[in-house]
Amino acid sequence: MLRVFLTITAAALIAAAWIIWDRTRGPVSTPIADFSAPFIFGRFAVPPDNPLTEEAFSLGRHLFYDPILSGNNQVACASCHVQALAFTDGLAKSPSLSGGELGFSSMSLANLLWGQERFFWDGRAASLEEQALLPIQHPDEMDQDLDALIGELQTSRAYRKMFRRAYGEVSADNIARALSTFMRMLISSDSKYDKYLRGEERLTAQEEHGRKLFMAHPDTKVSLRGGNCIDCHSQFLTSGFRDALDGFSNNGLDSDEDLPDGLMAVTGNPAHKGFFKVPTLRNIAVTAPYMHDGRFETLEDVMDHYNDGIVVSDTLSPLILEADNAPQAGQQTVGLRMTPEEIDAIIAFLHTLTDDAFLTNPQFSDPFEGGT
Amino acid sequence: MRGSRIFLGIAVLLILIAGGALYVALKPEGRTSITLTFHAKMGKTPLVFDEFVYENPGGTGTFRVRDFRFYLSNLTLSEESASFAQPDSYHLLRFDNPDTSHSIVLNDVPLGTIDHVRFLIGVDPDANGSIEVRGDLDPNSQMAWNWEVGYKFVVLEGALRVGEDVSPLVYHVGFSENAREVAFALPPGVSADDDTEVHLTVDLAKLFDGPVQIDMEAMSSVKFNRADAKMLADNYATMIDPAF
Repeated sequence: MLRVFLTITAAALIAAAWIIWDRTRGPVSTPIADFSAPFIFGRFAVPPDNPLTEEAFSLGRHLFYDPILSGNNQVACASCHVQALAFTDGLAKSPSLSGGELGFSSMSLANLLWGQERFFWDGRAASLEEQALLPIQHPDEMDQDLDALIGELQTSRAYRKMFRRAYGEVSADNIARALSTFMRMLISSDSKYDKYLRGEERLTAQEEHGRKLFMAHPDTKVSLRGGNCIDCHSQFLTSGFRDALDGFSNNGLDSDEDLPDGLMAVTGNPAHKGFFKVPTLRNIAVTAPYMHDGRFETLEDVMDHYNDGIVVSDTLSPLILEADNAPQAGQQTVGLRMTPEEIDAIIAFLHTLTDDAFLTNPQFSDPFEGGT
Repeated sequence: MRGSRIFLGIAVLLILIAGGALYVALKPEGRTSITLTFHAKMGKTPLVFDEFVYENPGGTGTFRVRDFRFYLSNLTLSEESASFAQPDSYHLLRFDNPDTSHSIVLNDVPLGTIDHVRFLIGVDPDANGSIEVRGDLDPNSQMAWNWEVGYKFVVLEGALRVGEDVSPLVYHVGFSENAREVAFALPPGVSADDDTEVHLTVDLAKLFDGPVQIDMEAMSSVKFNRADAKMLADNYATMIDPAF
């Protein structure tokens, strides 16, 4: 009898110790080892206090798809960032909680490890961690109080466990870290253009023509024709540039009278008025409508803008104002003045940036829908 | 037994002596550090961005500078008998800061003193033809034309105002043949210090007002025309001067 009692006591003690140990031990960090980052994308930096781990990615993925993050428990990050649309929402401007629409178009989330280190169209967030919490709290976006959110997450055994494994406690900082890890891992590097760069596939003659035009600033003095895309969109990433504020530009959408503040609202520098973040062109064929306010519905509209629809303002990029394929002085319009064949070629090249593997990668999908 | 102990003792002694000799032979003669600070100027005064305050050197009108930056590469420091070439020495110098200056700091230079400084304005042909990320070289940066053409070495962008008309200025100078070497000696007073500080001026006016005087209205952009690019390169070859 005593022996049975002692055995049960010992077993209970071991079980209790294990439970206490499991609850109190530090996070389990399994570094994400097998992600592929093409060397042509260049250097990238992950904050030292938020290393890329499997546990953080899994937590971030759950948070990204969970409407629990919003005040009314109906809006998730994924509501406006849909994987099949390269994490945009297909709308000119995303819907506002109050019934209208937001001021800006939902941005694609791809290859955020590279390119600009400022986020949002006007660059107001200096890191992904800073960015992640802003839409959650914005009254027109998700309208959630962070302390209330932490309380809600703490009532969930599953989230308590995921936070414990990834970071330790449920906190606002750790919510931001987990969402950032998920977003950092949204890597698109398997488009036809990537396969071409790796020597695995050939571009068609039209796509190759478009690629050459994309990569060239026109110079009539040496009969070089160009679409001038590369002056703002880097050759491999096709995003804006990483260094300082090089990844922000005024691309001739509005006159001085109508020009929104853009980056100037963040830096206070009048030379930045009307500057917006140059977006990645990865998967651009599925992220319509275009520009920070979604004013162009098709890639043809975008090309028409750059070809003869540039609106001159004081801070307009001189590279856009100067780029012209026609040798004789311009008439009334400002733009590239390319032929319809050249425009079609650039659009054909832009389609080679669509990465179906990225758009359907099960690791990036909704974990609450039977995925893993 | 006794013999082998003596032998061991001698062996240990020999190893110690050899190690000491090697240490003395390989020990660097001295370690020094150097800071090169480049100050962007227009003529004698610090560069001002985004204001129409500069005269078109070869014609009419005033111009403003929106962006000015350049690559400096292959920085080599030397004393009488030895020299030190900084590895992966590719620096993008940009001046969009309150001091309109840019510093390059080298610590632990394995030289006793530094008498001479040498570098390229631009990028050497090997690195210019590569997409490898080295130093400040980045094929996804604004300074990359594309992998078939290489890097822009010197970039100046802005606008020229003549009367009411404002027109863009775009000077992008690259091509391997347009790298230009700058070399100078440090006077004894400067190099004697263990923590050498050297100030240099980068005079943008020289770009347009050097061996060739340029009318910005007639030549408002330089990109891929090799004769034009060479002309600007011969001008910028003299834009950097040490200020002692």
